[in-house]
Amino acid sequence: MSEHFIKNIEIKNFKCFEDFKAEGFGRVNLIGGKNNVGKTAFMEAVGINVHSTNILTLFSSLMAIYFERNKLEFIEKGYSVDDLKSLFESRQTYFSKSNINEVHYKLYNKDGKKEYIFNINNKEIAINSNDFSYEVEYISNIEYISNLGFNNSSLQKNYITVQRIDKEYILNKYINEFDNSIEKFKIFDGSPECKLKNSNSYIKINEFGDGLKHYISIICSLYACENGYLFIDEIDNGIHYTQLDRLWEIILTISKQQNVQVFATTHSKECIESYARVAKKLEDNEIIFIELCKREEEIKAFVYPYDWFIDEIEQEHEVRGCL
Amino acid sequence: MSLRIFVEGNDDKNFIVKLLNDLKKYNQIDVLDNINFNNYITIMGSKSKLLDSSHEKYQRISRKIGFEVLEVLFIFDCDFEVDDKNCNGMKKSLECFDNLKKELNWTIPMDVHIFDKNLDYFLVETINKKECYEHFDKLIECLDVEKLKPNKKPIANLYRDLYPYPQFYFKDDRFQPLKDKLIDLFKGIEK
Repeated sequence: MSEHFIKNIEIKNFKCFEDFKAEGFGRVNLIGGKNNVGKTAFMEAVGINVHSTNILTLFSSLMAIYFERNKLEFIEKGYSVDDLKSLFESRQTYFSKSNINEVHYKLYNKDGKKEYIFNINNKEIAINSNDFSYEVEYISNIEYISNLGFNNSSLQKNYITVQRIDKEYILNKYINEFDNSIEKFKIFDGSPECKLKNSNSYIKINEFGDGLKHYISIICSLYACENGYLFIDEIDNGIHYTQLDRLWEIILTISKQQNVQVFATTHSKECIESYARVAKKLEDNEIIFIELCKREEEIKAFVYPYDWFIDEIEQEHEVRGCL
Repeated sequence: MSLRIFVEGNDDKNFIVKLLNDLKKYNQIDVLDNINFNNYITIMGSKSKLLDSSHEKYQRISRKIGFEVLEVLFIFDCDFEVDDKNCNGMKKSLECFDNLKKELNWTIPMDVHIFDKNLDYFLVETINKKECYEHFDKLIECLDVEKLKPNKKPIANLYRDLYPYPQFYFKDDRFQPLKDKLIDLFKGIEK
């Protein structure tokens, strides 16, 4: 397992996680669980932790997650620095520790003056709420694909890497396997488009089904996240079950080549079974399944290494949340 | 809240699933219409593995004991003392099970159902219209082939060959003790 991979995490006071621990993550991690158990929040917490190398990268991840969760509302009203401040002020404390980064946060409120106190990997930073300005720093090899999918500019950003490392032919091969009527994919002036066989013109990708854009986004992001991390919420969104084995084969293959750690969520039994089938076929024992369960207010993660996971699937046991 | 049933092999699992479906059909257990009984049954592989507290399947389920799994039932054969003096026969089987319970140290109700001899013998005893098979049994006895596989009843194999999805006669009174344990087990299931 690569050094940069996150292997464990401890989270306190983040969304539904009051005091939570999980360990034993692999190169590719699929997360299952019932509705509202915290699958997306767990992935976000992992994303924030690996972003927390400094205060600006931490802000970028918080903002990105906040934006993704509220994308539709932001389309109507836009967003501002107050949105990020409201995030800090919604919690008195926050703590996250992994084998990669450790972050402590405390909201200090005295005589009406608010201070945000961060301690990131033993470096303390205090920010007066009145002096807070929206400044972020992006990490190019960490990507988050939300359940709504990429917009065109996010897709373009990742596609540029595919071009830069001369993988367009592989991308086109994968696209052709997904839909054999498509010959080529390109981005013209920010507009992703596909060329059909026996046609001279390109068609905007939004004219195709959502699954195609999601599929291309995943492949481009795997190349763009070399030595980094890729988070995919509801991985099977828009993907027909007959394409799932192909998708997992691509993810397992490229993530190994590019040394990318992948976290993905799903509700689908077909998707989980496909993941097990492909991992077994490729003999990829760096895959992990994470089952999140909630009892009253306690959330637990049951991490299944390769052998355990394959056995659970072969015994037809339910792994999408506790019974 | 949930439960688990531990069995030796695939035949045992298929039999328990059939029996549970029968209990569901006659409203003797109150479960969801789309329940998949496979979810609740863990195949351990053999009697010796089922009685081995260090088996990794017990490690796996231990994490859920008291959190998700609040009651368990172990089902296995008592088998023949001639094959294993340590854990075969009813008395020794019970002793070995008590030992397993002690070593697992799970703080939840743990029940057991042990088949006299084995599941094959039990099922043959309860086949409806058993008299129709008795001629075959006599033939087997005459040919003296039972010693080839002393623990497997040829008549049970025949029955399974004739009926790949055998319809056991669950109304037989001899099913009642196991039915009672399953009914009791599924009382606490979360719907």
